[in-house]
Amino acid sequence: MQYQTFLSKRYLKRRWAPWAATVAVALGVFSLISVLAVMEGFKLEMKERIRGSLSHLVVKGSAMRLLVGEDPLLQAARQTEGVEAASPFIETLAIYKSTVLDYCILRGIDPSTEPEVSDFDLYLLSDDEIEQLQADPFRMLPEDRPPPDPQRVADVFSLERRRQMLRWNLRGDAGVGFAEEAPPQGLVVGIEALRSGRLALGDIVQLSTYSPVSYEPRIGKFIVVGAFQSGVYEQDQRWAYSDIRALQQLLDLWDEEAQDMRISGISLRLADYSQASQIKDQIHQEISRRMDLDPTEEDAIPWRSLEVKTWENQRENLLQAVEIEKRIIAAMMLLIVAFAAAMIFLILMLLVIEKNRDLGVLRALGATRSGVVQLVLKQGMFLCITGAAIGLLGGWLLTENINAVHESIYRATGLRLFPPDIYYLEQIPAHLRWQDMVLVCAPTLIFGFFGSLFPALWAGRRDPIKALHHE
Amino acid sequence: MNDLQPALPVLSARDLCREFSLPGDRSLEVLRHLDLDIHEAEMVAIVGLSGVGKSTLLHCLGLLDTPSSGQITYRSGGQTWQSPGLNEPQRCGLRNQFIGFVFQFFHLLSDLDVLENVMLPAIVGTPKSDWKQRKPQIEAKARTLLETVGLAGREEQAPGTLSGGERQRVAIARALINNPRLLLCDEPTGNLDSSTSEKIHTLLRQLHEDLGTSILVVTHDPDLASRADRRLAMIDGRFEKSADHPSD
Ligand SMILES: Nc1ncnc2c1ncn2[C@@H]1O[C@H](COP(=O)(O)OP(=O)(O)OP(=O)(O)O)[C@@H](O)[C@H]1O
Ligand SMILES: [Mg+2]
Repeated sequence: MQYQTFLSKRYLKRRWAPWAATVAVALGVFSLISVLAVMEGFKLEMKERIRGSLSHLVVKGSAMRLLVGEDPLLQAARQTEGVEAASPFIETLAIYKSTVLDYCILRGIDPSTEPEVSDFDLYLLSDDEIEQLQADPFRMLPEDRPPPDPQRVADVFSLERRRQMLRWNLRGDAGVGFAEEAPPQGLVVGIEALRSGRLALGDIVQLSTYSPVSYEPRIGKFIVVGAFQSGVYEQDQRWAYSDIRALQQLLDLWDEEAQDMRISGISLRLADYSQASQIKDQIHQEISRRMDLDPTEEDAIPWRSLEVKTWENQRENLLQAVEIEKRIIAAMMLLIVAFAAAMIFLILMLLVIEKNRDLGVLRALGATRSGVVQLVLKQGMFLCITGAAIGLLGGWLLTENINAVHESIYRATGLRLFPPDIYYLEQIPAHLRWQDMVLVCAPTLIFGFFGSLFPALWAGRRDPIKALHHE
Repeated sequence: MNDLQPALPVLSARDLCREFSLPGDRSLEVLRHLDLDIHEAEMVAIVGLSGVGKSTLLHCLGLLDTPSSGQITYRSGGQTWQSPGLNEPQRCGLRNQFIGFVFQFFHLLSDLDVLENVMLPAIVGTPKSDWKQRKPQIEAKARTLLETVGLAGREEQAPGTLSGGERQRVAIARALINNPRLLLCDEPTGNLDSSTSEKIHTLLRQLHEDLGTSILVVTHDPDLASRADRRLAMIDGRFEKSADHPSD
């Protein structure tokens, strides 16, 4: 045993004040770890939800000219290695009138292939679920739902379903202008549009939009045949899905030149999302190649300007905002750690002043300057490392049990620290990454080191004679 | 031990000067060309008026202070160390192994118990790798020393609960744990009443005779000075030609 270890033990054993620094470090690390874990969990959860309604990759045309050649586009995409599925889509804005004027982002999808590229089938609610969710505004879908059935997507847009909804709608009065044989096109809206009372199942909505090609105003009537919950509030409020063919008709997307219907783009699901950027380039190349072919050739795709994006590219701003938020909070919370390091500094200074005479005695008994420096440094680092370890452990425990803790706080105080309606989450998501642990512990130890270094150097520079002079 | 040759002094100081610079470009010459030899197994007392520089001399000899000029030579066995010319580890090594300090104010560490205080110089001087192996030996030695100074059975006590005389006994035991060649005592009984002082004087003398450690003691106490083999009076930064054996 070195005398530094021996003396540090004795000093720390008989005093409680130095442990205040440990508590401060532990609290700092604890809160940083917990906050970062929750923010990371929040980010992951959000990403997952956003991703669910988007596909891994989209190939998109320009807003005005769109893309033409649905079949060769899908074929080109499906032939690319790493692409598991592809499905066409149309995206536009529409205004409708309910209690007030409102707008929605209208997505035309192919009911038979959409479930292969996005989680729409998972988000699509059954009538029972719609009823349950409408009854409780905070409610999320239960975890143990039956596995998604792609057939339900086709069913919800089917003629049978539309007729059924129309019949239901016609129960009271009979003046909606539709006969049961020819019901309007189906529209699946977000659950929040139902919850807010703007729309109801079976409603006939008149959507006003513009053709992106001719700029002519277009009006179409749809019947609300279903609802979805993606878990992203904004989407659940504003997004609406319809059959892509109906939307093509409504928007007048016939391309005279190519003798084909236009589409906004195609959505793709990849076998492995980590390959996305590579596959993105490949697809871009392949489609560009086909667009450059002579129009008479079999593989040719009519030329339109084109971009390929990952879903993260599409939602870059939102994702970046969350990431930046996380970093800013981490940076601010590092102040707590800095404060803890300042406390180590002060406590060690006090200890050095208090033990000035002891340090002089040690020098007289043969301790070197650097030995004395080490003695103080060792104590500081011991306090700091202990605090960091406790904080880390505490943060980990909280992360693992955060919902139980939250629940008991709620039961004890009636306070919801994390109101589910605001965050649209029933459970607090938390995910502790090792990178975040390093991000917290490294500065803590560095601050702690410098907080200890200065008192240590100061102790090493003290004159032993002066220290020994008085009792 | 060394009967054939006249033994070289354990410590010799030559032409030692110590000047303190004071504010305003003034300086204070405390030690002026001082010479001193301390022989093997010799007890030397230094007396002198307050402020004459006795403590300063002891600090220089104990390598806590650096003289402005002059040499100090330390000898042990066949080895010689010469100051100036020592690096920091050598100086610390000499302080640890060659010299034992006894202070007027005892200077025990209040966070350690009596036994640990006595062991402290050995703990400081033992490298980490040897500690496990040497600890029982060191502890036994510390217990023996405590017994020698009359404090057997007080090992676990906190120094704060001891009387002044007992504390000084602990300090003396601490100074002896590494078998130093030279004990430097700065007014070891300056803070004790006369009967306690007397006991400490007896103890020092007895240890000196039993262990053969050379002792240099600074004192205002005529009783202690009279027990030394040699008495040096310090005047004006150097030693007055002195009567060598005042008691004879
Ligand atoms: N660091 C210093 N700076 C300036 N002057 C000093 C310093 N240390 C000691 N002195 C002066 O040197 C002189 C000798 O001091 P020293 O402590 O050696 O005296 P002393 O003989 O031990 O006295 P006493 O018997 O009272 O202990 C004193 O005048 C003191 O003021
Ligand atoms: Mg003095």
